[in-house]
Amino acid sequence: MRRSDLGEFEEVVLLSVAVLTPQAYSVAIAEALEEETGRTVTTGAVHAALQRLEKKGFVNSQMGEATSERGGRRKRLFTVTIAGSRILHEVQAVRNRLWNRIAPSSLPKISFT
Amino acid sequence: MATSDCKPDTPPQWVDKLLEWLCPPEILEEVLGDLHERYYLRVQKEGVKKARSGYWREVLAYLRPSIFRRKSLQYSYPTITDMLRNYFNIARRNVYRNKAYSLINVLGLALGITGAILIFTLVKYHLSFDTFHTEKDRIYRVTTEFHQEEIAYDQGVPQPIGKALRDDYTFAEKIAMVYSNSDWLVSIPSAEDDKKFKEAVAFAEPEFFDMLDFPLIQGDKNTILTKPNTAIVTERIAEKFFGDQNPIGQMIRVHNKLEFRVTGVLRDLPINTDRRDEIYVSYSNLKDHNEWLAGDSWQGVAGGMHCFMLLKPDVLPSDVDKAFPELSKKYYNERDAEIYQFKLQPISDIHFNPDLGGYIAKKNLWALSLIGLFLIITACVNFINLATAQALRRAKEIGVRKVLGSKRGQLFWQFIAETALITTLALVLAFVIAQSVLPYLNQLLDIQLQINIFQDVYLLIFLLFLLLVVIVLSGSYPGLIMAGFQPVLALKGKLSQKHAGGFSLRRGLVVTQFVISQLLIIGTIVIANQMRYSRQADMGFTKDAIVMLPVPEKEEPTISAFDSEISQLASVEKLTLCSDAPASEGWASVTVRYGSRTEIENFDITVKAGDHQYVPTFNLQLIAGRNLLPSDTVREFLINETAVRRFGKHSPEDVIGKKIQIGLNNSKGTIVGVVKDFHNTSFHEAIAPLCITTSTKWYYNCAVKINPANLPSTLSALETSWKEVFPNHIFEYNFLDEQIARFYEADSMIFRLIQIFASIAIIIGCLGLYGLISFMAAQKTKEVGVRKVLGASLPSILWLFGQEFTRLLILAFVIAAPLAWWVMQNWLENFIYRIEIGVGIFALAIAATFLIAILTVSFQSVRAALANPVDSLRNE
Repeated sequence: MRRSDLGEFEEVVLLSVAVLTPQAYSVAIAEALEEETGRTVTTGAVHAALQRLEKKGFVNSQMGEATSERGGRRKRLFTVTIAGSRILHEVQAVRNRLWNRIAPSSLPKISFT
Repeated sequence: MATSDCKPDTPPQWVDKLLEWLCPPEILEEVLGDLHERYYLRVQKEGVKKARSGYWREVLAYLRPSIFRRKSLQYSYPTITDMLRNYFNIARRNVYRNKAYSLINVLGLALGITGAILIFTLVKYHLSFDTFHTEKDRIYRVTTEFHQEEIAYDQGVPQPIGKALRDDYTFAEKIAMVYSNSDWLVSIPSAEDDKKFKEAVAFAEPEFFDMLDFPLIQGDKNTILTKPNTAIVTERIAEKFFGDQNPIGQMIRVHNKLEFRVTGVLRDLPINTDRRDEIYVSYSNLKDHNEWLAGDSWQGVAGGMHCFMLLKPDVLPSDVDKAFPELSKKYYNERDAEIYQFKLQPISDIHFNPDLGGYIAKKNLWALSLIGLFLIITACVNFINLATAQALRRAKEIGVRKVLGSKRGQLFWQFIAETALITTLALVLAFVIAQSVLPYLNQLLDIQLQINIFQDVYLLIFLLFLLLVVIVLSGSYPGLIMAGFQPVLALKGKLSQKHAGGFSLRRGLVVTQFVISQLLIIGTIVIANQMRYSRQADMGFTKDAIVMLPVPEKEEPTISAFDSEISQLASVEKLTLCSDAPASEGWASVTVRYGSRTEIENFDITVKAGDHQYVPTFNLQLIAGRNLLPSDTVREFLINETAVRRFGKHSPEDVIGKKIQIGLNNSKGTIVGVVKDFHNTSFHEAIAPLCITTSTKWYYNCAVKINPANLPSTLSALETSWKEVFPNHIFEYNFLDEQIARFYEADSMIFRLIQIFASIAIIIGCLGLYGLISFMAAQKTKEVGVRKVLGASLPSILWLFGQEFTRLLILAFVIAAPLAWWVMQNWLENFIYRIEIGVGIFALAIAATFLIAILTVSFQSVRAALANPVDSLRNE
């Protein structure tokens, strides 16, 4: 039922929450992701991912303050939980291990210019 | 700032509304907040335009299941559907609680709607005739009018008119001559066992199939019927004639003499066309069949000779009509040019013009539709009556609803919803009833109707429309009444009948219902009387126990052999060889010249051919002179009294011994006798001037007067003898009285329909009356109890119920009688010989209505009157 693994999009959203805390909410996260990836990211997608993360217990949320751009509506602010922190570390560890095992010649070369 | 000149733009309002409706309330705030904030960011970064278009993507991204899915609700959020569900719940409970009342309502409505569905289907079926041709607006048939003392109409035309129209005028894109006739003997020469059929055959020019949409499924459209001795048949005929064999290339033989090769197969004819011929043969062979028919004579018109025209798109039919007199002048002498006048008849008119052989006049269809409307009205009236009578029972419910804040409008819609529920039930029931009675109706009317709701858009629309109309008509008044109750009075139980809609309105409705029933009853009685009169009145000749046999070959000595063969049968009393029976749909009507007058008369004379036995067999009465002599060499004539009068003579004796010459082969002969007038066609038409003469070559029929005892053996004896003489033909027989009854086919169809729908109207009326009287009985329980205690007699209590309805019934009669008289008098105008609408008919009608009303009312009122007053008075 409750999947405890982490999808790719969920992963970057969770990372963004960690980056933006204590001001991590849908709009800020979407903007940050757009900036980082150069692709359009809707708040709806972010919102859905956050809902899933909360359901899995990787983030907590509480209502924040209202602003005038929001028509006087409050925002929901997210923070990473211990479980969230653990899964991020796990994912990073898996990646690092895999990176370390790549033989120098097996990845085609690309130049960063 | 870049956006300073435009007002800080807000995102589209209705999107907010949409989300408010879709989102669970607990996340609505953040979602909307996020959307708006993002929007403002976009406006600042990219401008209003881009922000707006981007907004769409943002909103769409929220439309996902995880958003719609609500967590278990902490509070219930009533939506608009909850109250609607409540209405339907209450409606369902009400239907359930008052089963009898609901049953009457649903049944009444269902019957009315059934009637409406059937009538709609029937009317639509007739209106659809020959409307499937692509060029239907440009297809016309040429018809002939004979302008003499009276104008006579004929669907046929002189044969050469097709050629004349082609050569002399440029009106038409296509012209096709078609000669069609039913009951042709068609045989298949190749079949081992001599297969013979009677079919309708048409000699047609190939252009016919370019005009009308009768598609070929085998054969080449460009070559069919172009060569002589070729034929095309429909799928059905191909199957019937040749079974599984390929019909192409097969031979068929018509009338034992003409052979045709089948070169094409037509798709089966649609049911809604009046062109019923299923075998078409080359028109060029018409001369082989009958030289006169195919000849160039402009004189006389053969029934069945049709000329169809496809006008050019820019030609108006009136232009063609204007050119016809010129055409008459060219081909006729001055006198005949006045008589023969041609007219175009649009193909859409063919089914509806009784003068030109149309099946049913449009006004009859409208009358039928009106009856359908009447049925719906009576059903709605029922509903209103019962609903308002019931209204008081629901006073408490309405009081409570109003106290809890229901508005009038809401209550009104609640009752409309209830009506909608009942009406929908009724509609479904009606649909089922209509489906199941349709086969019987088809059988009764000899047609092929279908009700297929999923293929028939018009029917679907009609049903929806009907549903709406019935709901509005029957639901709105009771709804208004009930929604208007004063809550205080309603809760205290102090509402009385007078609050539940004026009783006078309900009376008015009952009167309406009675008026409709009585109109239909009077109509039924008048039509029934006229039909009986037409069938049973003395036509001036004997028509009972006469069998009509065909005489397919008229050559001597076959015909004498036939005569002696039949007459020696024991049960044959008399027989005559003749063209047709005294009353028939007309065989020949020709010009006549009397005595030594040089001019031909200003009227046509009907000719009947018959031998010297014609007069005794049909029991015609000679009033002057003698009968025809049994000889074919000397031409002698009998004429009828009308002819005597039309010749301008006063006494039958004056014409005896005078010569007449008729326009049929220019036969000239002496009048030897005068017969008393007899009806020579249906009662729709006046007795025509008529003459009877002997001539073997016109003897198409043999009328046999038989002894009606032991009919089956007589018929089989006739068949045996007939087949001995005519082995190559199909034996058929008709009883003369049945043949005559067929004159009134259209009338009897209308009669059967009005019978059915009158019964439905009466049943609906009775249901309503029954419901109303039950309600009245319940209301008056106390009153009856008190009266009985004080010594009222049974009749006086019955009168309490009866007087009300008697008064209404009489009022209805006063309205219905003159209306019915006027309508039926109009209908009777169709008959030259007709019944009088006498007092008897009206007396019968009101007696019938009374009887029905009394039967309906009596059970409930007697029960109320017999009830023990102790029971009704004990509880207060």
